[in-house]
Amino acid sequence: VKNFWYLFAAYTVIWTTIFVYVIHLSKKNRELREDLNALQAQVERLLTRKEVP
Amino acid sequence: MVTALWCVFVYAPTEAAQGIVQRIFYFHVSSALVTFLAFFVVFMASILFLWKSIPWWDSVAFSAAEIGVIFCTLVLITGPIWARPIWGTWWSWDPTLTLTLVLWLIYVAYLMLRADAADPKRARFAAVLGIVGFVDVPLIRWSVEKWRTLHPKPVVIQAGGTTGLPPAMLLTFLVCVVAFLLLFAYLLRERISLAESQHDLEALRHKVDTNLSG
Repeated sequence: VKNFWYLFAAYTVIWTTIFVYVIHLSKKNRELREDLNALQAQVERLLTRKEVP
Repeated sequence: MVTALWCVFVYAPTEAAQGIVQRIFYFHVSSALVTFLAFFVVFMASILFLWKSIPWWDSVAFSAAEIGVIFCTLVLITGPIWARPIWGTWWSWDPTLTLTLVLWLIYVAYLMLRADAADPKRARFAAVLGIVGFVDVPLIRWSVEKWRTLHPKPVVIQAGGTTGLPPAMLLTFLVCVVAFLLLFAYLLRERISLAESQHDLEALRHKVDTNLSG
């Protein structure tokens, strides 16, 4: 079919970009959760240190 | 999105003059509409941020700008792919294309300026750029309608409120627009939530650090 590769390229670019962005968002979300867990551990250590005379 | 794809590749008839490559139109124009909507959100949220000084509006503006730049990139890539077999060239420095490239550059600059969220001064400068940059959007619309360029004139809504699209193509286009608006709403909600969580985490980390050093 004439010009099929242009159509294929356009839709591939669109879907790849959206897919990569969604993956990027979920990766950032995961990193944030890890940061939060590290911070929680830090707070717990801080509280334990304060409790022990 | 699945319905939109079905409409584009199965339901919509093949355009007589351009052939199958015309099917790029449905996602190209939908991406452009989402781009304009996203930058309108940046514009409104930036005004509200400067007026009320509520950080949430800054998060909304930043999130919408990021998504707007992504969709604007799609417009700038799919446009030349469509143009090559129809116009015989990938790019032409005509007003519509150039103004769209300028729009992309403005909001990339916005994202670079706004990258350092910790500095409130930069956030305010970025908000000003987000407001001023939006001036380019009506210019693009105007250039499509009034300038004689390689870029085609509006076909969906023409002068006098009529449409230049046959019913099946119009329906396909509307389905694509709705799908893209839903995708935009979903991405914006997720991105704002992420930006807010980052903001809260930074504030909490600052508190812990202050507590540790005290």
